[in-house]
Amino acid sequence: MHRSLAVVISVLLLTMTAAPASQAAETVWSGLVMAENVTQPQPIPSELTRIEGLLKRFFGYNEFQVIGQSQKTLKTGQEDWLATSKFFGLHVDARGETQGGYVLNLKLYKEKELLLETEAKLSKRSPLVIKGPQVGGGQLLLVLVVQ
Amino acid sequence: MKTFEEKWTAWLDDQLSGRELSEFEASLPDKAAAQAEKAEAKKLGELLKRELSAHPLKNEEFFSHQLRERIVQESGEQRRERARRSPTSSWWTIPRLLWAGTASLAVFLICTVFVMHQERPAEESQYLTQILNARVDPVVSPNATVSIFEVKQDRVTVLWTEGLQTLPADYAAK
Repeated sequence: MHRSLAVVISVLLLTMTAAPASQAAETVWSGLVMAENVTQPQPIPSELTRIEGLLKRFFGYNEFQVIGQSQKTLKTGQEDWLATSKFFGLHVDARGETQGGYVLNLKLYKEKELLLETEAKLSKRSPLVIKGPQVGGGQLLLVLVVQ
Repeated sequence: MKTFEEKWTAWLDDQLSGRELSEFEASLPDKAAAQAEKAEAKKLGELLKRELSAHPLKNEEFFSHQLRERIVQESGEQRRERARRSPTSSWWTIPRLLWAGTASLAVFLICTVFVMHQERPAEESQYLTQILNARVDPVVSPNATVSIFEVKQDRVTVLWTEGLQTLPADYAAK
């Protein structure tokens, strides 16, 4: 009798805890993107396809090129990584996983100079776009997407 | 002084003797009829004695009788035992209450998990990236400002900066 009760309760607890435990590690794509207006724009990189409409509408450019990127698979949610181009560096420091996303500290460097620092709760379903400095006739954008 | 009825009863039972017997028999109007009646009364008495007396039990009957008594006794003991274990005997015994509670809990948990799984996509679809804080180096870009836009239509959050230092086109190099 008591053994049967214990079995029933154990099965219920396992069922309840199985779903969250089965979540797989996720990858965060971080990119340094140059947005420009050109006469013959190149196709948008696959990582940005999902937000192509927003980028064109919001920033008013017709070409987007990735000048630096990094893909990091998060296992503990405490990792840090760097996406770099020749002159810029985006340092991402993950500071833990929350319900539906990760808390990230982002620092944009121009060579060794810190231009911008922000802390964001990156949702797994919602990309983050940061407008960086004007570069020539274009615009530097920072994009973070949970893939 | 005995009445006639008392003497008649005693005569039927052969309780009269001697002078009392001879006087009573002499007082009978029809001695032959009285003797016949006495014989009938004796027969009746013997018949009643034979039929009404408890006849001795045979071995099989004795065994069955003992067995029945044992069964009755044990049934009584079991009833008393049950009554002792559950003084207010009803369907809601403690084990049944435990099972009912566990089953109710199981149904509740299953429903809760099911509802949570159903609602999760809707909740997450409204869950946008949040900017917790942002700052621009005031030395490098003293006039810079920061704005936050949540574009729910595209489920994208935009951190919009204005007034950052403008850089030459060379900085666009990969």
